[in-house]
Amino acid sequence: MNSNATTTSLGTGSAESSAPRRNSKRPKYSRFTQQELPACKPILTPRWVITAFLLVSVIFIPIGVASLLASRKVVEIVDRYDAECVNATTKSERVKYIQGPGDKTCNRTLRVPKHMKAPVHIYYQLDNFYQNHRRYVKSRSDEQLRDNHSASEVSSCKPEDTANGNPIVPCGLIAWSLFNDTYSFAINNRNLTVNKKGISWKSDRDHKFGKDVYPKNFQNGTLIGGAHLNSSMSLHEQEDLIVWMRTAALPTFRKFYGKIEEDLQANDVIHVTLKNYYNTYSFNGKKMLVLSTTSWLGGKNNFLGIAYLSVGGLCFFLAMLFSLIYLVKPRRLGDPSYLSWNRNPGGH
Amino acid sequence: MGGWDRVRSSRSRLSRDSTHLNRQPSVRLGRVQPQAPGHRTIYCNDREANAIIKFKENSISTTKYNVLTFLPKGLFEQFRRVANFYFLMISILSSTPISPVSPITNVAPLSIVLLISLVKEAFEDWKRFQNDLVINNTLVDVLHGQKWESIPWKKLQVGDLVRIKQDGFFPADILFLASTNADGVCYVETSNLDGETNLKIRKALEKTWDYLTPEKASEFRGELQCEQPNNSLYTFTGNLIIQKQTLPLTPNQLLLRGCSLRNTEYIVGAVVYTGHETKVMMNAMNVPSKRSTLERKLDKLILTLFATLLIMCLIGAIGSGIFINRKYYYLGLEGKVEDRQFDPSNRFVVIILTMFTLITLFSSIIPISLYVSIEGIKFFQSTQFINQDLNMYYAETNTPALARTSNLNEELGQVEYIFTDKTGTLTRNLMEFFKCSIGGEVYGTGITEIERGLAERSSIKLEEDRKSANAVHEKGFNFDDVRLMRGAWRNEPNPDICKEFFRCLAICHTVLPEGDESPEKITYQAASPDEAALVTAAKNFGFFFYRRTPTMIYVRESHVEKMGKIQDVPYEILNVLEFNSTRKRQSVVCQYSDGRIVLFCKGADSVIYERLAEGNDDLKKVTREHLEQFGSSGLRTLCLAYRNLSANVYETWNEKFIQAKSSLQDREKKLDEVSELIEKDLILIGATAIEDKLQEGVPACIETLSKAGIKIWVLTGDKMETAINIAYACNLLNNNMKQFIISSDTDNIREVEDRGDPVEIARFINDAVRARLKKCLEEAQLYLHTISRPKLALVIDGKCLMYALDPSLRGMLLNLSLNCNSVVCCRVSPLQKAQVTSLVKKGAKKITLSIGDGANDVSMIQAAHVGVGISGLEGMQAVLASDFAIAQFRFLTDLLLVHGRWSYIRISKVVTYFFYKNLTFTLTQFWFTFQAGFSGQRFYDDWFQACYNVLFTSLPVLMLGLFDKDVSESLSKKYPQLYMEGLKNVYFRWKIVSIWAFFSLYQSLILYYFVTTSGSSPQSSSGKMFGLWDISTMAFTCVVTTVNLRLLLSCNNITRWHHFSVWGSILAWFLFIFLYSGFMTKYDRQENVFWAIYVLMSTPYFYITIILVPIVALAGDFLYQGVQRWFFPYDYQIIQEIHRHEPDDNRSARLLQIENHLTPADARSYAIAQLPQERSKHTGFAFDSPGYESFFAAQVGVFAPQKAWDVARRASAMRPRIRKPQKS
Repeated sequence: MNSNATTTSLGTGSAESSAPRRNSKRPKYSRFTQQELPACKPILTPRWVITAFLLVSVIFIPIGVASLLASRKVVEIVDRYDAECVNATTKSERVKYIQGPGDKTCNRTLRVPKHMKAPVHIYYQLDNFYQNHRRYVKSRSDEQLRDNHSASEVSSCKPEDTANGNPIVPCGLIAWSLFNDTYSFAINNRNLTVNKKGISWKSDRDHKFGKDVYPKNFQNGTLIGGAHLNSSMSLHEQEDLIVWMRTAALPTFRKFYGKIEEDLQANDVIHVTLKNYYNTYSFNGKKMLVLSTTSWLGGKNNFLGIAYLSVGGLCFFLAMLFSLIYLVKPRRLGDPSYLSWNRNPGGH
Repeated sequence: MGGWDRVRSSRSRLSRDSTHLNRQPSVRLGRVQPQAPGHRTIYCNDREANAIIKFKENSISTTKYNVLTFLPKGLFEQFRRVANFYFLMISILSSTPISPVSPITNVAPLSIVLLISLVKEAFEDWKRFQNDLVINNTLVDVLHGQKWESIPWKKLQVGDLVRIKQDGFFPADILFLASTNADGVCYVETSNLDGETNLKIRKALEKTWDYLTPEKASEFRGELQCEQPNNSLYTFTGNLIIQKQTLPLTPNQLLLRGCSLRNTEYIVGAVVYTGHETKVMMNAMNVPSKRSTLERKLDKLILTLFATLLIMCLIGAIGSGIFINRKYYYLGLEGKVEDRQFDPSNRFVVIILTMFTLITLFSSIIPISLYVSIEGIKFFQSTQFINQDLNMYYAETNTPALARTSNLNEELGQVEYIFTDKTGTLTRNLMEFFKCSIGGEVYGTGITEIERGLAERSSIKLEEDRKSANAVHEKGFNFDDVRLMRGAWRNEPNPDICKEFFRCLAICHTVLPEGDESPEKITYQAASPDEAALVTAAKNFGFFFYRRTPTMIYVRESHVEKMGKIQDVPYEILNVLEFNSTRKRQSVVCQYSDGRIVLFCKGADSVIYERLAEGNDDLKKVTREHLEQFGSSGLRTLCLAYRNLSANVYETWNEKFIQAKSSLQDREKKLDEVSELIEKDLILIGATAIEDKLQEGVPACIETLSKAGIKIWVLTGDKMETAINIAYACNLLNNNMKQFIISSDTDNIREVEDRGDPVEIARFINDAVRARLKKCLEEAQLYLHTISRPKLALVIDGKCLMYALDPSLRGMLLNLSLNCNSVVCCRVSPLQKAQVTSLVKKGAKKITLSIGDGANDVSMIQAAHVGVGISGLEGMQAVLASDFAIAQFRFLTDLLLVHGRWSYIRISKVVTYFFYKNLTFTLTQFWFTFQAGFSGQRFYDDWFQACYNVLFTSLPVLMLGLFDKDVSESLSKKYPQLYMEGLKNVYFRWKIVSIWAFFSLYQSLILYYFVTTSGSSPQSSSGKMFGLWDISTMAFTCVVTTVNLRLLLSCNNITRWHHFSVWGSILAWFLFIFLYSGFMTKYDRQENVFWAIYVLMSTPYFYITIILVPIVALAGDFLYQGVQRWFFPYDYQIIQEIHRHEPDDNRSARLLQIENHLTPADARSYAIAQLPQERSKHTGFAFDSPGYESFFAAQVGVFAPQKAWDVARRASAMRPRIRKPQKS
């Protein structure tokens, strides 16, 4: 009777444990929870390293050669004219000249070094011109350019948003500073036609610049930034503007000017008559005229080819170097003597 | 009633016995609420009368939020995180005009991060709400008029009379009135409160026993006065006034909410406290969350990034101040510039404003999704990997591992010090009679865990014999030797000694038999499990002790006269000379029925040998050898001896004994002296060896862990011998170690203590400890400089520790103990356990882990970096305080070496990768700033930047965090040394971070300059030129590709999830840009990138660059990794190479192994002939267990306070047993 309390409690205890385990808490097996997902375990063995480097060099060197060849095939004439076309030596005189009235025609002669296959692309290249400056980049109104009805959407265009109280179309610093040097070319007094169609990307032309948007109130302010626009042509057709408004990534950039749709022979002498209107003198920017053919890879640019070749070459060199080391002083894979606890017994 | 599970699993913690609280003032275990003044008066069974007072209702709510407060409170919680707040600030900044980016860049990722966090919060709260709902709507029977009516819990009111049926939970704190049990008692299970599964008895007041039936109960009218609600679980005072009688109430009448009724048909009670005023609810408190060391280091990294950000911004801002000039007329800077940021006339303002501009622009350098990603990864790691690991599932108690917090997964990979409790953690607290030596002969064929370990180490094959058919294995007895069983001992060379041996076992003890007097059904109540084991052994040898009266012991002896004969033999117990720690022995003087007087004695070999009679040296020598052999096998030994007494010798002695016993002064001392007089000239019988059964695999686990560079400290309340013995058994100590023992049990100290002046004692011990520490330290340093460098071990007891922990000695203690390979602290209180833990935690600045199973380990568990509780046994306090709960000590191997290590490597990789990818991305932006006139022009489109972190690079890194695995699980355990990489923090130190930073710099330069330089000439035969946005789209494509492929490079194993996520992310970018640049809407500035990708892809440039740039960018990393692996390989890499041809973990074998665990593995089913043993001086004496003295005090009706190291759990387990003699 006395031990009643203990025996009952013990009794229930055993009854409970003998009862079948209805809910086992045993975790269910799954490959995920047991962390046994099938996996490949790459080990970066010397052989792999050498193979990888060899593979890269095998792939890269041909590509490098191909792109370098393509680049070398391109014939390019670059003519810097900003200094020669101004008869002044100091900066302030030049600025004065370029801002003043008067004839700014300048004649240049270019010699064609090699046969240039049509079409010959004409570019102008500016230097030290920050088309990617934040103030410049955002100073445009895409709605206005796209849509006739949004002419007054000029809030983002400061400071070139309005002139004489009316909104400017196209507004903003980018449009305002449109490049306005012009070039005409002649060989042996025969004028070459410059085709200015198709120099802009089609997507820009079709979607960003409306067919019914015409320049309005443009360059009517106190300061003239650059080119005037033909107010009877819709922006859609003003490809110079479209090209200009696809702002460049770097402060040195080329813009497409036009195409000469005929072959130029080697040693032809081209007479360029250019109007040197655009002011790069205030910020010491260079101006260049570029005539270039293209290859499948585009214009003359050795960078990719050299990059490919040198990376390929370097990889080949590394592969050789590693092979040499591998032969001279091989490390046996999985050598237990490399284990830290085998190197200095007794732990740390 | 699944709802109650929450009480266990939710982060509530219950404070323990308040007296316990007082003993450890510095360790807070629960907040003690201030007592409201006065008391409450409850009118039982009278709702109207109670209505005036407006008690709290019984519905509970554990949710953090409600519908209204969710958003404000949840958002507030989120913005308390620095990273989120930072991005909030950036978002606000980016909606101002100075921002180069549209607000979307920062708002979008922030919103996504917040959304995920809030959804998680909402989900958790919803679960809590559902739980509450279930609980609140559980039905309970309430007296309504004259019958029971079921109402939901939430409608219950204070004063209601309720009926709770068997196995039902108490809906509130209830005053127990009546039960169906005869004597007004009921049995209560409190496992939800304190985890104890043993039943508690509650007893109603006799006056209220009758109110059982509804008719009767409806007549019950009483006024209950009791204290205001409080959180003390074990106290309750109040008065019940019925029929003008005031009856005092005690906790014995209070049934607490959360407990359940057992073994009782039903009870009737009156509701006292409801809802949030119940004691269990008032005890619920949030666990102070621990942050991992790695995460704290992560904060430093973030700060470094922030500093980098500021430097970058400063450079850019100064650049902008220098750059801006009116000469750039195309920027419209003539005259008055309306935008102050570009006004050349005040460059200072330009610098300041640009600074802010750039901060918003470069904000992506701080990885916004890092914290949420890490949280997600850790959540998976703990819930899916740790909780679900079959290797850590213990079938016997049906307990899987449980990660109670997911914050500390990676901390597990860097643990350097483990503090472990002994009882219940290393051992099972189960003593089993294992071997014996009788008359110079060893009996018992089992092999211990440590012998097996030894054999495995010296690669000796163990013979796997089946056990003999008549082997008996019951609780306390695990012995197999046909030579002794079933009377076979009669044929042994010395049957008489055997007989004495068995008699000694059956007579010389203080055990109480309980229950039916048959060998199968009897249970022995003993103060220490050792004693019970010895008596059980006697029973199995045929000397069945079945009855004890105050003067007699009855033994049913078999085979004594002749084989098969069973007779009941009474022995008169003349004297019991009790065990205590100075005597280290116990004797019983008994008289046989034929008048022969014999003294049986058992005790430590050292004390017994001193008192042996002359002669018989061979036996002594052999037995000592056996003792040493047992000792080094980790067994606890006792020597048995006897002495025949002549009647007159006894009589003279007995007079002195009675005198001593009745003396009032120094009784103990005198008793000891008198005992000395008779405990001499003993005849040695033999020795017993009891296995303090270690938990399965403990020695192996400890060996693995120490190979892993982890130092293990045993902190135990047990006495020194026991602790040392276990340390031997666990391989923590061995004979090759130089041991420093700092003990307060020296003659000098004892002498001073006897004088009893506390000031002098303190001063003396302090000096002694100081001198000892100094000497040990000098010696230790000497050893460090010797070539052989023996391993050092420190053993210190609680009293010395108390002085050694004094601030003046602490440094020396720390210094000494850090030089030791193992440290054993015995006789330590829970508070000291915590102090030692924090000494190492703070002093050595190493990561500590505490593991324990009982309430006395709680403080230590909370003090360590990582707390681990042993679950599945009774007692949940340790688990409730812990961060991880495992069922067996040996699972620490898996927890640390596998999960901890992987988690550490994974989280380190995730963090460094996050760092890298955001730095790379931001640096490309930074380089662009130099070429854009420092204007703060963004290089990438807003949406690119917004989606970079959350869409294009987020998934692969999650896969890395979940699946990366350098070596397989079995190899992690096979080469525990790999763990040291975590100890040295190999994967997340500044060196690694700077390597990543270097390659980030390299890659960003390649990415930016290769793309821009090559893109500035016409790139197709059409001769058309790219604009800014074409180039940036190209660059971004390269960045996304590179960064995602870089992840593959840093993976050790690549599952299909890696492929899926990496290629999927790259694909996602392309899908995104195809769609995004394909449409034009009015609403954002996407005109910029309109058609850009199509333009790009129409040129060969795109394809050539997309091959070139990522490969060149990654070539650096590849080269580095190749060279590193080749010339400076990490350990894991060598291991990978060694096992490169082996298939993955053999799943089927592993599963089989786990299945084997299901069948109760008979650990002792193997036999061994004779193992080559090292001879040692360690004989393995260890006998007693905490609570011994107090138990005997209780037996004789004297109250002796429980010692500080007594475990609360045991005290409660003992309660019913103590009651018994009091009653009878």
